[in-house]
Amino acid sequence: MAYLCGPEFGAFFSDSVLPLLVYAASALIGLIGIAYMAGTATSNAKLTLWSKTEAVQFVVSTVSVFLIITTMNTFCAIKINEIASIFDMPAAAGDPDIYAAANGYLLDAAIYSHNALTVVRYHLEAYTTLSFFNAFMCDLATGRIGWGCLFGYSGESQQPLGGYSVQTAAMNIFFNGAIIAHFMSLNFIFILLFVYKGFVFLFLPLGVFMRSMPYMRSFGSLLVALAISFLLIYPFLLAVMYLMRSVLVDADTGYTPLPVPMSGYDERRYDDMVNGGDMIAMSTLGEEYVWHCYFSVDGCGWSGDSKENLPGAIGFASNAFVAAVFFPSVALLATIASVGYIARLYGDEIDLSRITQLV
Amino acid sequence: MKAATALLFLMMVPLAFAAWQTTAAVAIATSIGLLGAIYILGMGFGISELQMTAKEEFFQLIAAALMIVFLVGGDSALNAISTNFGDSGSATLQEAARASIDTTLTGVTGLMTSIEGTDKAAAIEGSKASSCSILGMGYSVSGCGSYTMLATPLSMAGGITGFAVGELYTMKRLIQLSEGFAFPFLLPLGIVLRTFKFTRGAGGLLIALAISLHILLPIGLIFNDMLGATFLDPPGTDNDALSAPYKAVPQSVSLSCNPGDTGPDNENNAVGGYHTLRTNLRVYLFTMLIQATLGPVLALLMMSTGLRTLTSLAGAEVDVSAISRFV
Repeated sequence: MAYLCGPEFGAFFSDSVLPLLVYAASALIGLIGIAYMAGTATSNAKLTLWSKTEAVQFVVSTVSVFLIITTMNTFCAIKINEIASIFDMPAAAGDPDIYAAANGYLLDAAIYSHNALTVVRYHLEAYTTLSFFNAFMCDLATGRIGWGCLFGYSGESQQPLGGYSVQTAAMNIFFNGAIIAHFMSLNFIFILLFVYKGFVFLFLPLGVFMRSMPYMRSFGSLLVALAISFLLIYPFLLAVMYLMRSVLVDADTGYTPLPVPMSGYDERRYDDMVNGGDMIAMSTLGEEYVWHCYFSVDGCGWSGDSKENLPGAIGFASNAFVAAVFFPSVALLATIASVGYIARLYGDEIDLSRITQLV
Repeated sequence: MKAATALLFLMMVPLAFAAWQTTAAVAIATSIGLLGAIYILGMGFGISELQMTAKEEFFQLIAAALMIVFLVGGDSALNAISTNFGDSGSATLQEAARASIDTTLTGVTGLMTSIEGTDKAAAIEGSKASSCSILGMGYSVSGCGSYTMLATPLSMAGGITGFAVGELYTMKRLIQLSEGFAFPFLLPLGIVLRTFKFTRGAGGLLIALAISLHILLPIGLIFNDMLGATFLDPPGTDNDALSAPYKAVPQSVSLSCNPGDTGPDNENNAVGGYHTLRTNLRVYLFTMLIQATLGPVLALLMMSTGLRTLTSLAGAEVDVSAISRFV
């Protein structure tokens, strides 16, 4: 990715965007000049007035572009820890600038929501597998040895770990929630990448030109407002969230709110147990042994602390929704709102309420 | 009347400035400094538009400052209310809300454990089958099929309880954010951003988010608790018959099946278990639906409505109806 504050992006800006801006401005000045001369030559007051009005609008557009570029440079210069120190907040690792912090928050949210997905999936897998564990309890048992099966097949079959429908129902809901959270975080990353890749910059020359074309003022204003909002407001609000990452995405505790580290929820449990002894043990040593294979921090056996944490897994998925859906959505809604607000500053009313329905 | 006067007094006279109030004051001072610089620039270069902009923005700042003064008073008053009516050991709205969430969460997870236990027992009993064969001859009987009827309602209960736990954890996280960032960080940042025309929308949103998180979210939970407490223990009554079933302890569900018995006993036991579950329903209802579901929904709706109203007050309305749909 051409980083917005890096030299590659500088080259893209000076080689592509700046020439386009100059072409747009030159064409516009030429057009306004011709219109003014034509108006003066034909004594057409309407045409002269139009030229003068558009000349003022051209200045407004140019000043706007200058302001955007200046603010962007400022955003590149401001380090997030400088803002943190003003508000007496703990310093962030890496001390990124505003644009990198915005990207950093969304990456954090993606990691966090993926971790939530992993924990929920682990529980769901374990409950499903354990539910289908069957046992045949031979009659006349001494401990786990049933003498009733010595000469035939006498006893009771049952699913000793079958009672997980409550947990499975709860986990299914939050599995969906965690998937949505993860997909939304990726979606927001793509929106930011769209901005960072520079395509929004092409709105600027087009906007400057269109704002002075007859009947196209609203369209031009919309393009400039979109550029301002997505280049300044959206990254800034996400950078603000980056400063709250210690709570929002539990950045200080390995992106998990649970006491068991993420490595404890390795979903390849069954793969690990396919070979040899574990499989035989699972078949013969009973349900408690099987349960420990999935939910003991020490693995298969009869002892060890439990890492089964149903409320914790639900809470993790809920937190992921807050971090990856709720807060980035607020940032996007504010950005969309500011498009309308900034367009109004340029004297045009743009109704974007339909777009907000998409969020 | 005295209480109303005391409340008004608290609203108008901000007492005891804490950390966030100082930061907000510093933010306002910073904004004044920035506007002063713009005004001086306008004066120095003879640009009257800049001077006018600075003046116009100064009025906006006065509005913001008044909002903050009102907020300081309002916050003190609401803290006083939460201390009196909410959890007795809480000094602030957030502490009271956190205590309320923790209590409800303990109750909900306790009930969830009880439902899980019943589910486990029903599933084990329902899966039982008896076999006997000697020298290739024998029989196999499954007399516990009636217990499978309990799986569907228990599964639904799991879904509802899961929702309740999820909502409580969401509330807990939002209250954590409110305590750590709403007033010490988001509010002052919002004040500074609101000073400039281009960032007024973002500034207004941050101010609105800070106020909604700090005040409306916890107050929604606390008010719901107050309503619930009044329903459970109506003033002037010792043993209210209406609320009694909602405060009871759930009865234990007795589930036992003999897989070899094809008579009516197993079916009767399963139906008996179903009836006990039905009796227990009202015990679960209050905690699950009123405390753990209605409370968070009310709080979130208050927050999202407040967000929209406050952004509008702050000068740039943000359509947060999309957020309300998350609820």
